[in-house]
Amino acid sequence: MMDGKNTEERPAEEQADVMLQQLLHLKTFEMPDPSRMMRNKQNIMRQVRQTQSEKRKPLLDRLELNIPWFFAEPKYGIAALFVAFIGLQYAGMSARNSTTSTGIYTTTGSVASYQQQEAASNVVSNRYPSLPRNYQLFDNPQGNQTVVPAGFEYKEK
Amino acid sequence: MVGKVNLEPDENPEEKEEILEGEKTPEIEESPEEEGPPDAELVLKAQQGDVHAFDQLVERYHSKIYGLTYNMTSNREDAEDLTQEVFVKAFEALPRFKGKSSFYTWVYRIAVNKTINYRKKRNRKRALSLDSFDQDIKLDDAYHEMTAKGSPLRNISLSELQKKLNEALLNLSEKHRTVVVMHDMQGIPHDEIAKVVGASVGTVRSRLFYARRQMQTELSDFMK
Repeated sequence: MMDGKNTEERPAEEQADVMLQQLLHLKTFEMPDPSRMMRNKQNIMRQVRQTQSEKRKPLLDRLELNIPWFFAEPKYGIAALFVAFIGLQYAGMSARNSTTSTGIYTTTGSVASYQQQEAASNVVSNRYPSLPRNYQLFDNPQGNQTVVPAGFEYKEK
Repeated sequence: MVGKVNLEPDENPEEKEEILEGEKTPEIEESPEEEGPPDAELVLKAQQGDVHAFDQLVERYHSKIYGLTYNMTSNREDAEDLTQEVFVKAFEALPRFKGKSSFYTWVYRIAVNKTINYRKKRNRKRALSLDSFDQDIKLDDAYHEMTAKGSPLRNISLSELQKKLNEALLNLSEKHRTVVVMHDMQGIPHDEIAKVVGASVGTVRSRLFYARRQMQTELSDFMK
């Protein structure tokens, strides 16, 4: 009895499915207005072109766009290459000079170090210690005397 | 019928969050056969900045994407906006498209995700704005059968039927409507739908079953 009920329900379900399929099939006949579709495609492509124009172009393309004269004539390109070559040569030369003429040379095992200005001035002042006030380096000048430091002997040949 | 869907996460990172469920990477086998150069060639050209190539792709798939968005929203203005957004988004994301799947299904996936997000953001209960029926409907066998003598549709106008159908569709959840539109209206097989929505075939079948039951209940007046 149960089986009989099921077999009755099944065709009813199948029939309902078929009817629903038919109803949904009718929706495929809904057709958009061709002119609206055309306008929609045009809008899409307009926006796509706008997006494309806003995209960042490669460096070479941007150069070509901004300085077309540079790319228009081969002679400009050759001239630019020549100038670039000269520039590179100059840069190389100056770099070479700086390494050959302004170096600080040390022997193996020793280190050249930079001494700060203050420390250096201390070294100089230590080398010339301040003398007491009563210590006279020079005699007071007398008439036509040649001023010579004290303790300095002048011998005429 | 339907081509491959590109779901590589790095190809379209913006779309990642729009994935319905699961994180599978579906691959649909073949793309629809069309006249003219193959999609892969057009895509390559478009990636190199050829807008005309992309124009050909738009021409090729516009009606399909519009059909999907229209049946999902039952509003032609929304469908037009969405179709536009889908193609522009596809163009923007094209550099990340590596061609592991076909362009059509990649775009299709974007369309499904965009439509669902669009409806989430906007008012779900928007007024219907429907395309008119083609006159050829009166030549259709199914239509004849349904409007035959004794049929409940005999005394119903086409516009009323259209309204009821669309309302019944809109009452479905997004997930259920997606499978109904893709399977019953666009003829996409279960396995391909599964790949697009990122669910198993069983889940798709189950959704389709419950969606149909709900629609049968909604349209019971026409199905006696």
